[in-house]
Amino acid sequence: MNDYEAVIGLETHIQLNTTTKIFCACKADSWFDPPNTNICPVCTGMPGVLPVLNKAAVEKGVVLAAAMHAELRPLSYFDRKNYFYPDLPKGYQISQYDQSLAFGGYLDLPVPAANGQPAYIRKVSIHKLHLEEDAGKTKNAGHERLIDFNRCGVPLVEMVTGPDLRSPDEAAQYLIRLRQLLRWLGVSEADMEKGHLRCDANVSIRPRGATYLNPKTEIKNVNSIEAVRSAIEKEIERQIREVEAGHRIEAWTLEWDEEAGVLRKMRSKETEADYRYFREPDLLPIRLDDAWKADILKALPELPLVRRQRFMNAYGLPEYDADILTSERNLSDYFESAVKAYGSDPKRVSNYLMNDVLRMLNETSKTADRLRLTPAYLAEIIKLADAGTVNTSTAKSLLQKVEESGMAPGEIVAAEGLAKVSDDSAIRAVCLEVLAESPKEVESYKAGKVTLIGWFVGQVMKKMRGKADPTLARTILEELLA
Amino acid sequence: MELCDIPAYELSLLLRQRQISAEEVTRACLERIAAVDGRSGALDAGSLTPEDEQKVHAFITITRERALNQARTVDQKLAAGEDPGLLAGIPFTTKDIFSVRGTPSTAASRILANYTAPYTATPVARMEAAGAVMLGKVNLDEFTYGSSNESTAFQPAPRNPWNPAHVPGGSSGGSASSVAAGEAALSLGTDTAGSIRQPAAFCGVVGVKPTYGRVSRYGLIAFGSSLDCPGPVARNVVDAALMLQTIAGADPRDSTAAKVPVPDYLAQLEGGVKGLRIGLSPDYFRIAFPDPQTGEYREQSLPMDIESPVLRAAEVLASLGAEIVEDVPMPNTRYGIPAYFVISRVEAASNLHRYDGVKYGYRTRQPIDDLTKLYRQTRNEGFGLQPKLRILMGMYVSAAQYSAQYYQRALRVRTLIRRDFEQAFDRSGKHRLDALLTPTTPTTAFKMGAVYGDSVLMQYADQLTVPANHAGIPGLSLPGGLDADRLPVGIQLLGPDFSEDVLLRIGRAYELATETEDWRKVKPMVLR
Repeated sequence: MNDYEAVIGLETHIQLNTTTKIFCACKADSWFDPPNTNICPVCTGMPGVLPVLNKAAVEKGVVLAAAMHAELRPLSYFDRKNYFYPDLPKGYQISQYDQSLAFGGYLDLPVPAANGQPAYIRKVSIHKLHLEEDAGKTKNAGHERLIDFNRCGVPLVEMVTGPDLRSPDEAAQYLIRLRQLLRWLGVSEADMEKGHLRCDANVSIRPRGATYLNPKTEIKNVNSIEAVRSAIEKEIERQIREVEAGHRIEAWTLEWDEEAGVLRKMRSKETEADYRYFREPDLLPIRLDDAWKADILKALPELPLVRRQRFMNAYGLPEYDADILTSERNLSDYFESAVKAYGSDPKRVSNYLMNDVLRMLNETSKTADRLRLTPAYLAEIIKLADAGTVNTSTAKSLLQKVEESGMAPGEIVAAEGLAKVSDDSAIRAVCLEVLAESPKEVESYKAGKVTLIGWFVGQVMKKMRGKADPTLARTILEELLA
Repeated sequence: MELCDIPAYELSLLLRQRQISAEEVTRACLERIAAVDGRSGALDAGSLTPEDEQKVHAFITITRERALNQARTVDQKLAAGEDPGLLAGIPFTTKDIFSVRGTPSTAASRILANYTAPYTATPVARMEAAGAVMLGKVNLDEFTYGSSNESTAFQPAPRNPWNPAHVPGGSSGGSASSVAAGEAALSLGTDTAGSIRQPAAFCGVVGVKPTYGRVSRYGLIAFGSSLDCPGPVARNVVDAALMLQTIAGADPRDSTAAKVPVPDYLAQLEGGVKGLRIGLSPDYFRIAFPDPQTGEYREQSLPMDIESPVLRAAEVLASLGAEIVEDVPMPNTRYGIPAYFVISRVEAASNLHRYDGVKYGYRTRQPIDDLTKLYRQTRNEGFGLQPKLRILMGMYVSAAQYSAQYYQRALRVRTLIRRDFEQAFDRSGKHRLDALLTPTTPTTAFKMGAVYGDSVLMQYADQLTVPANHAGIPGLSLPGGLDADRLPVGIQLLGPDFSEDVLLRIGRAYELATETEDWRKVKPMVLR
């Protein structure tokens, strides 16, 4: 491997999460619906029908293109891509060819440190970004082929990277970051298992340091990030074996068999298919004037990787924290609101979030914006702990209580009498009680087993249901046992 | 005069005055159909009988019960004093290239012979919403690919009511012949290169090719999507205006349907032509075509029988106060057919992809276990000669290695043709025309079988009509007289985008001015 480097480009199909399909009013997402239930004359290509463009699909495409730093065309066109297949009911796919919605663009991909290699940034260029309609699904059932047209006309963005990725890990990282971005922007559910995000990988190898491109193979049907990683790994190994054995790499299309973990040859790709592209006469060009563009991009949020960097710079968070807190847009918004409400040390807020709130999110499968424990309540709890009004363990249990009840932390503290007891005489009385009830432990302590002090503190805390100031209790106990 | 011979506008007055009922009108039409139409078009129809050769054969499907039910609904509304709609009780036919829910929608092709549409095309829906009564679906060239109607898979092909030995023109041959024979007052046709205007001219009726986008294409089984225009076929200009009023306007189901407001065509219809500038172009008084032997372009002037009605119309319009502008150059007219040959076939080949035997329509009965073979066999059996020729040519000229030479070049020619019109109609240009007056066709209706089989020559029948489709502008064909064989001659008016109101006004002025002329009293042969 060391003599070779891999050259990888990814072709992704992204299902936009619009309510309706791209050219008709049928429901777009059919994951939970039986076959051929979300269909109409338009998406099944009955004679005489015409497509009408769904504006929302364009808008989501524009948001994605802007987030990828792509150049948006003020005038873009739809084209027909002609080919025959039973799940393509019109015999052509409405796509965009030479004047697509956007061109160019890139993603600065952070590649984490691994195997002694330091972290680095890989600039991944975007070659193509266009809108198109999805085709249906074909299923083989014995001697029959079954066709489900539900997916026909679901809006897709096809986005193709340049041959810029250099390892299976980089390819996986690209997909992880892309998925994060798509969800962040709210343009796609980006669930690979459900086909919201599909990926074909183009793979070739060349001697390390070379700048030319060798013939590539295309791997299809890779439905998870792990599958992309494994399939590319396998293909690189195969290509190295072939080259070492003196063979040439041929431009095959390969299919990833997930269960067997092997690649199979689908077909040779000697000549490019001729799709006879021409302008779709049934649709007008997309005119993305400045006003519309501005209106769409008004809602473009700060991008995840930018926010991640800002969390590190502005709040002094470690990369680890910044990465996790920007994994989802909701969570990062939550964090920022909480920091604002808290008013000081962002790392302290991060600790609460990373340790406790994230666990709560995982357990309840909620997103941060759905929590009853609002950022303001979280900040209030941390402040209560800072001021010594409650101790740390009470603070943590308060998180849970606020989430369950929706009540303000202060109210819960008052209602349940959770405030830390700092009254010397009250604690002193309980300490005396504990010592009186534990003659054996007192004897051991006096005989020199001073580590028992922790046990005595625990007993006091237990009797006072956690409200005692543990430091004060310890001082009193030490004094009484002296 | 029988009820079925009364034009739509007068019928609607009589209906509203309750002098006649919609059911009576419908029955009169059904009787006329029974008398003159002969057997309807069908697959595998066998050879023609001598009787067949005397009939019109406009129909593929007669929707008798549907029509009578619609007529009764109109009568009920009239009796109840409700507004039954602009076209209430007016019988019409629909070219069988439009989808109409629950009716066979065949495109005159074997491949769709068993297909019943699950929805209704917008123009048909608008006709019916206005109270018009659909009598049935009428014949056409297969998928509209022709200018004589002979290429239909549903034989016998329609014949010209003026002389059944002649073609009615095409592709809207069933539309024009049904209106000319008094089988219906109106018909909904389509025009991709002249398919409304040419048969209207051949059958002595009025045909309007509206501006591209003026009438929704939703439900029209596509031929050349960038050229196709649904439009009216009628017995006079008033009726054509009435029908266009009903079907025109934006449609949320067709994004190429223009959101331009629809004017009141009837209000200004008799406003006259005073001050209008009407042009004549030498480029519309000759045809240019490639010599079949040498491939060289040859020019030929038009027969006097074609030319003189146009010149006479110019005189009539001049006498009514129009200003006639001569020698308007339209130099790119001669390239209309070659460019059309390329553009329409690329679009047609793609539009025909969906007929693959998988989802609906014809599928080969041969046992086949391979998908590609299923496609090939189905399409080989299901398509007639014209679709096959168009697929071959369309696939050829859109192939990656030829597209620049043919398709991209044809698109540039199209722009040049459009420019000819823009310059002629330019308000601050040299000619400043309101309309161009031309012959509709280079000949009158030719004999059945005379041209059929020569696809290139057949195509040149559209030479004077196709420029309007390239340019997207409106065109109107109306009767201008009869030739020596007593066959109708059409004259054509072409105008700038969305100038249908002006064209109809000019047409109406001419119609009124020539109302009493002798040739207007001659009836089609099948009605004599």
